[in-house]
Amino acid sequence: MFEAADWVRFLKMDGREKECEEVGCVRIEDENYPCLLKEIPDPPKHLYYKGNFCEEIFENCVAVVGSRKMSLYGKKVVEHLFSTANKSMTIVSGFMSGVDAEAHSQALHFGMKTIAVMPCGINYVHPEDQVGLYEKIIKQGGLILSEFESDFKPKLWTYPKRNRIVAGLSKVTVVVEASANSGSLITARLANSYGRKVFVVPGSIFSDLSNGKIQINNEFAKTIGSGFQINEFLGLRCTTKSGNTDFDDQENPILILLKNEPMTINELSEVLSTDISELSMELTLLSLDGLVTEQGGKFYAC
Amino acid sequence: MLVKVKSITTRGIETLGVDVEVNVSSRGIPGLEIVGLPDKSIDESKDRVKTAFQNCGLEFPNKKITINLAPADVHKEGSCYDLPIAVGLICAVSGLKVPESSLFFGELSFDGSLRHTRGSFLLSIYAKENGYEKVFVPVQCVREAASIKNVKVFGVENLSLLMKHLNGENLLREYCGDLGESEDLDYYKKFDEFEIGNVIGQEQIKRALEICAAGGHNLIMVGPPGAGKTMLAKSLVSILPPLTEQESIEVTKIYSLVGKIPPGCGLLQQRPFRSPHHTISYAGMIGGGSNPSPGEITLAHRGILFMDEFSEYTRLVLEALRQPLECGKVTVSRSKGSVDFPSRFVLVAASNPCPCGYFGDTAHTCTCSDRKIKNYQSKLSGPVLDRIDLHINVLPVEKSRLLSDYSQETQNIEKVKDGSREMRIRVLEAREIQKERFRNEKVYTNAEMSNTHVSRYCKLDSPSKNLLVQAVEKFGLSTRAYFKLIKVARTLSDLDKKPNIEIQHVAEAIQYRSRLFL
Repeated sequence: MFEAADWVRFLKMDGREKECEEVGCVRIEDENYPCLLKEIPDPPKHLYYKGNFCEEIFENCVAVVGSRKMSLYGKKVVEHLFSTANKSMTIVSGFMSGVDAEAHSQALHFGMKTIAVMPCGINYVHPEDQVGLYEKIIKQGGLILSEFESDFKPKLWTYPKRNRIVAGLSKVTVVVEASANSGSLITARLANSYGRKVFVVPGSIFSDLSNGKIQINNEFAKTIGSGFQINEFLGLRCTTKSGNTDFDDQENPILILLKNEPMTINELSEVLSTDISELSMELTLLSLDGLVTEQGGKFYAC
Repeated sequence: MLVKVKSITTRGIETLGVDVEVNVSSRGIPGLEIVGLPDKSIDESKDRVKTAFQNCGLEFPNKKITINLAPADVHKEGSCYDLPIAVGLICAVSGLKVPESSLFFGELSFDGSLRHTRGSFLLSIYAKENGYEKVFVPVQCVREAASIKNVKVFGVENLSLLMKHLNGENLLREYCGDLGESEDLDYYKKFDEFEIGNVIGQEQIKRALEICAAGGHNLIMVGPPGAGKTMLAKSLVSILPPLTEQESIEVTKIYSLVGKIPPGCGLLQQRPFRSPHHTISYAGMIGGGSNPSPGEITLAHRGILFMDEFSEYTRLVLEALRQPLECGKVTVSRSKGSVDFPSRFVLVAASNPCPCGYFGDTAHTCTCSDRKIKNYQSKLSGPVLDRIDLHINVLPVEKSRLLSDYSQETQNIEKVKDGSREMRIRVLEAREIQKERFRNEKVYTNAEMSNTHVSRYCKLDSPSKNLLVQAVEKFGLSTRAYFKLIKVARTLSDLDKKPNIEIQHVAEAIQYRSRLFL
């Protein structure tokens, strides 16, 4: 069989030294192979990596996974979880667009370590339009992992393979958003079968992106509402919630309504019996202050 | 014997005088020949004229006839030279004099009567501009030609009558100036089926349509199917103001050129509303052909170009809209020459957020892949979107509300306060203010303002300016978007009947520009 180290040698012979300079390889018999990953029934025989491969990065891994079609709610969930979580944990995810990408970039934003496990060869960036994030992860001390070599293209079967590494590396798996047939459910089920903890964040029962979460919630997963529960489970210290909680605009009726549920401008106008033009003005001022955002026609309180 | 008869030819919407020179010579082999770069339809004129002469009992000279269409280096097309050729022949044979300072124009039928011919409006304009007193057109085109004042229009029914008229016997009826507008009183009556109050809810789009009609701003609506986008866009006609006189002349010119004025109609009053299907070709949209003819954007001049399923148009068509959207005209260059067509239209676009249509909808599940959505929306983004002033996300009205609202509406008179009638009154008032403002300018609406106009007519106080700068930074708007915001704010203040732009106008304007469709 073609060995991983052979491949690195092979690249050197081929004059592609630059590629193999960046890429490292670790075998299952090596000492620095992540020990949590060793515990799963079918650990990868070797792992290629780019970036900061060290022992600490594998210490407190938390997998954060979810749908590619992330809603604004999902985005806010990730932000909220990370702002309340202990910054010493490592966020592991699958580098897809949507929740995965959001998890990586928010982790970097909050100064946490992050590991992106690729479904493709170590020298291939998939999806291509996330090159910026890819480079940012490497530059800011994160790690790119893959069990596939060179520029191997992702295939349908490589995604679940990748998911077993995401689940295997992590003590905890958090499902942010998942529809009924989402790939993140595979990750969650694998994590459960490895005996790891699985958390889900509740969502609206009317949202399609909640269906998958309800499924696993009934089977094995536990519901959480903030990063505190993750800290508690990992035995880490809680950080105080950042940001100001004292709102001086409690009296604004628009904000009060929007905090309850997102609404369209037409619904707001009906409930408040205010003119559209006046309401538009108010909403502009609120969004310029960063208190509301709009997505797909609905306004959300931040 | 040589006779000269005057007529016109068109290039784009420009008109050029043509001398139809008819020479009947007793020497040479008998026959009829036309020179001066005629196309096939002019060549066939020989047979029409010959047969019409015979069927009217006129003698067709059995001599060598040569006809020259001068200037000889310009391509000419169309059936409008039948009448000038016939008049030339009549005068050459009978020795009658061609009436002074007159233009002739029209297609002959085999029985000697005349047919509706496209372009007679352009003929009248040419006559007025170049000091011709009389125009002779087919009787069906009289109303069209007589819309221009100070030009005497003679409606020709058939060749025999015309001959008698030239003889001084039986005078053709003479029309001059306006023929009176009969439909003026009930202008909005025909739009009853597009009553905007028929659409339940969706107050934000209604407001946007009002702004769009008042200031001539472009509008895009994005939302799942069944939200009422198309229905609302169509109801826009019921609140648009009628064409002003100057605008009407511009529009009638274009429609006369393409022969889209029905027989018996004069100056157009109603703003054009064009909604081409999304399979339209690039040339169909912009204009084209080896001899350039106007496309949909020109037919929508001074009116609305409604593009339903905006993302389904080919990229070529969408990108081609950029320049006309900005400068209000389009230059079509082809082998036979380059022509400018006016295209000052208001773009109203509607689109789904993704190929299946349900992205972001709460009641349905979107089945599109990530990449598909990105591809679909990439058509919406960029330079074309930047040229659209009002961006609206539309969500369907909830079904339970449809029922309750409908029963309420029939009882509740208060609900009817924002029907088409009330909106069009506000729109007309806002247009009046703009008319007064742009008295000495070449623009008619706020949306057409250039940046110099903006600095002249749109003074902002410092809090408004700060708000604008804040918005530009927050939403990453371009300089063009910045100016468009000011223009929308100007329209909002006109609707509010305020002399100056105030901070609430700016804030509302930003609301229509802060959309991220993803």
